[in-house]
Amino acid sequence: MIDDSLPAYSQPFLPGAIRELASSGPLAEITPEWAWGGSTGKGVKVAVVDTGIEYDHPAVGGMVRGGVVVEWDESLEDKLRYDPDEHPIDVAGHGTGCAGIIHAIAPEAELYSVRVLGTNMSGRAWQFGAGVNWALENGMDVVNLSLSTSKKDYFAMFHSLTDEAYFKNIMLVSAASNFDEPSMPSLYAALFSVSSHAGKDPFTYYYNPNPPVEFGAPGIDLRVAWKDHGYVIATGNSFAAPHIAGIVALIRGKHPELTPFQIKSVLWACAANVRKA
Amino acid sequence: MVKSDNPKDNPLEEELGHLIQALSAAGRAAMLGSPDALLSSIVEAAARIFGAAAASILLVNEVEGELEFKVAFGAGSDDLAGVRIPLNQGIAGYVAMSGQPIAISDVAQDTRFNQDFARSTGYVPRSILATPLLAGERVIGVMEVLDKINAPSFGMQDIELLGLFARQAALAIDQAQNIENMGEALLISLNRLATSDPEHPLENVRAVLQASPDAGSGNDLLKIADLLNEFSRMGEAEREMALKILGFLAEYSQGQRRMSTGAGWR
Repeated sequence: MIDDSLPAYSQPFLPGAIRELASSGPLAEITPEWAWGGSTGKGVKVAVVDTGIEYDHPAVGGMVRGGVVVEWDESLEDKLRYDPDEHPIDVAGHGTGCAGIIHAIAPEAELYSVRVLGTNMSGRAWQFGAGVNWALENGMDVVNLSLSTSKKDYFAMFHSLTDEAYFKNIMLVSAASNFDEPSMPSLYAALFSVSSHAGKDPFTYYYNPNPPVEFGAPGIDLRVAWKDHGYVIATGNSFAAPHIAGIVALIRGKHPELTPFQIKSVLWACAANVRKA
Repeated sequence: MVKSDNPKDNPLEEELGHLIQALSAAGRAAMLGSPDALLSSIVEAAARIFGAAAASILLVNEVEGELEFKVAFGAGSDDLAGVRIPLNQGIAGYVAMSGQPIAISDVAQDTRFNQDFARSTGYVPRSILATPLLAGERVIGVMEVLDKINAPSFGMQDIELLGLFARQAALAIDQAQNIENMGEALLISLNRLATSDPEHPLENVRAVLQASPDAGSGNDLLKIADLLNEFSRMGEAEREMALKILGFLAEYSQGQRRMSTGAGWR
């Protein structure tokens, strides 16, 4: 029964719950054709902050351009080590799954692996934050965050990273937690927050006008790339976020002048539940 | 004086050791049986309710950076208890590090998926549902069920349902760990108290214990234990604070004794 079971934060995207919204004026003139028609994401740099990306997986089509491994290192003053990652691997499969979804939508976008999952439990939120920071400092245009933290201690850190991205014109796309718990950074308004709907078409997404999640994209029972050149069927908001990240990369590629709030408006205008009044 | 490491040479230390052990045992008894037995029954119940071929619980070992199979039920579960895998690898590793559940299937198709895991268990699952065991915001382990019988994959409802089992398991594990941690903390602090006066080792603790021969000191310890346990359940910050308080208490007590014996700072 997929109809009445979606992850927490995805309830607004149940078939019966999706609200029909009306657009008007110049915004109503925006169409998917204008927004991303003909775009391949060429020239757009997309970071995937996750378990790594298997650089030679067929699903990423040779578009992985490098990346970094963020490790927790007690011997350093700030405890964080950044190891350049020319030919990234994926320690679990999850990051490759996300990267494969982005590549399928934006085949010429450049992919960068930001691996933040190490073996240190207490350092993991710091590694996560440091990975986002690396993306902000290294010229990324779009950053996919299919992970979150529920620890309120990190509220301020992720808030400032999110605002920094916003003012640097970098699109952070963040999956909401699958649990009903504080979900940082997806809860911040300055980024693109995403949870799941049960559909399969990669370009069908919905806009939710009520907080805390703005976009609903496919995330249930999807065939995604996995480690060791494999594929699995997977479920979770993790796989919804890269759909939006891919579409944002397309829009960015075609309209490089648009800022985060403008791209959000474009996404709103092209959402499947928004129609011209 | 030469301090012996052998508790047998030191009756009071031995006595303290017994007391702590009794305390831990009392705590465990309060949990309706041993934690392992409880966890075993939880994974078995989960496997049966999901119609899964197997189910298991892995615990986080932060020091080693590993996940260790604690209990397992069903296919491939023989000798699985005690098997360790790196904390940052594979599906269980992903769940532990991300704190997020995941349902995946068709895992053996077209892939060398988790060959190490398969080698260690002799069993390659077709579908996996894994969810973190959470103590507050802390991930203490991972619970997974493998191969839903009569269905190709686990769905969102299964994720929710497994979450309920995981909450039970996490409570049991967290309680057991709290009791163990608390016992250790008490032992360390009491040892510090006991060994702080080099002229009269253990004199102070001996006095406390002897002042109430009717097991009153045991009750006091239990009260301290209760308080610390309460603290430790509140979260990491509180747990740290409880340890600091114990430390301060030990230092304060040492200071008092130095003043009363006129031994001064050394």
